Amino acid sequence: MNRRGAMNNGPSLRASRFSCLPLNDHFDGTGLTARDGLAEGALNIWGNSLPAEELPVPGSVVTVGGVPFLFPASNSARGDNLRCRSQRLLVPSGRWDWLHVLCAAERRTEDPLLVEYAEGTTREQWLRVSDFWPETPPRFGELLAFRCGQLNYPQHAQHGMIPSIWAQRIPMTVPTGIRGVQLPENPAMHLFALTLQAQP
Amino acid sequence: MRVELPGIAFWRHDLGNCLQSAVGSILQFDGLDPLEFLGSSWNFEYTINDVRREEYYFPCWRDSIVASMAPHYRVSSTWHTPKDAAHGWEQVRAVVAGGRPVAVAVDNYYLPFRPAYRDVHTNHLVVVFGFDDQRGTVAVIDAVPPRFRGEIAIRQLTMARDSSNPVSHERDMFFTAQPIANRWLEIAAVGPHPAIDEDRLCAVLTANVAAYEGALDGGERFSGLPGLRRFMAEAASRLAGRDPAVVDEVFVVAGVALAVAGLHGDFLTGVARRLSLPLLAAIARDVDRIAHHWSAVRIIVGAGRDDPATAGRSLARRSSLLLADQARVLERMKQTIVDCAAHSAHSAHSAHSAHSAHSAHSAHSPVCLPTPTGEGKT
Repeated sequence: MNRRGAMNNGPSLRASRFSCLPLNDHFDGTGLTARDGLAEGALNIWGNSLPAEELPVPGSVVTVGGVPFLFPASNSARGDNLRCRSQRLLVPSGRWDWLHVLCAAERRTEDPLLVEYAEGTTREQWLRVSDFWPETPPRFGELLAFRCGQLNYPQHAQHGMIPSIWAQRIPMTVPTGIRGVQLPENPAMHLFALTLQAQP
Repeated sequence: MRVELPGIAFWRHDLGNCLQSAVGSILQFDGLDPLEFLGSSWNFEYTINDVRREEYYFPCWRDSIVASMAPHYRVSSTWHTPKDAAHGWEQVRAVVAGGRPVAVAVDNYYLPFRPAYRDVHTNHLVVVFGFDDQRGTVAVIDAVPPRFRGEIAIRQLTMARDSSNPVSHERDMFFTAQPIANRWLEIAAVGPHPAIDEDRLCAVLTANVAAYEGALDGGERFSGLPGLRRFMAEAASRLAGRDPAVVDEVFVVAGVALAVAGLHGDFLTGVARRLSLPLLAAIARDVDRIAHHWSAVRIIVGAGRDDPATAGRSLARRSSLLLADQARVLERMKQTIVDCAAHSAHSAHSAHSAHSAHSAHSAHSPVCLPTPTGEGKT
């Protein structure tokens, strides 16, 4: 576990090519709060949030399981995560093998996302996200990306409530390139970061 | 007097809530398997306006709430409503002194181990399994995170049980404005409880599929798949029409459906593993998928207050997917039951033939469900 808690428990992927996709323009909620901003938290309808002090430096690149992610900047006007509501994300053109996300769900859930290929076809791939709630193990084989020592509430921090952010991956492999992805319409899913990986 | 019942332990399902946790802990105390009791049934039952502002709400379509949760077993429960706090403690103390743990309703606002302590009012359920008169303490177990097992002052438990559970700010959602009223839940499981073998599994699936036929559906009663269709259609329409009551109602009912599907999926997975039935494991995964639809429904509705029109459209689209998947898994279950019945008939015939011929050849089959190749009947 590194300074901020990221798990480096995957194989070295130095030979791969990665592209961290900025999600700032799609963020629509505040899931990470500092001590002086607890009331801003909105990872769920009860106003819970994760402690920013225990997570990577906002805007930094953090490695989880050998995959680099652009950790959300806390000063983003739109927040630091998105609820999946059918957003269409354009990706750098090229042949990508995996789509990796830092994610958390309000109760575990799953839905297909739509992959748009360069030649104009589409294909569904499953996005499966486990619950961020404390004392709840991953359901879908995700890597534990971060586990915090407390859960923030609008008026206090609850120590001993240890929420999680998961690292999930989705296969993309096709001979031709990928143009974009359309996220599912499932607001129980939250995405914090997204990275594309091309294997040699 | 000091009592601490031995053998009480945490039990929790990740898609359940305090009701399943409390009932599960007590069933486990009785030496029973909570997942079998609470996970073998799968249906949809709801009567309009029945929802109560309780975290432990469950549609009571049988004689009692626990009988409604575990209709395949001889189990019952009784809600007791004492006349006041003193009477409430007297009753709970007597039952615990007699060797039975009990579930008590509480307002988390007064419980120091709950995150809502001195912050949010909410209507929760915990299990009392001991007390110490001299020290003025009570032993409580609560498997809902942050899990707690320990002693608190009887005075604190009394305040939590006697709370009017008021709405004091905007975060008091869903489970407030419903006085706790010192209620407590007594649970009794009457044996014997047959183990799940292939015949009993088929009986359970048959009963569940029959319940989903919705023979009693109509009017204010939403029952089975027809009732689920009506319920979802009305919910989407009411949400789009900005009916202020729909968010609370659908959020709570969806929470029940989520827990029931999640428990049933894991129940089937466990049986499939134990009886080596890979196709049942595949059906279990389909049921899990239904649970994951309910996770989405719950948040579409719960987060839909600011833009109910959009949420209503989103709920309508989700409903179509959920209902299609629900119909598909019920069809798979029906096919499984047909195969099961055919296997039973064949087994009976084979056993008879074997007996007649005094053959030493066994008529036993390791499966009553189709194998992945569609064969496997012996």
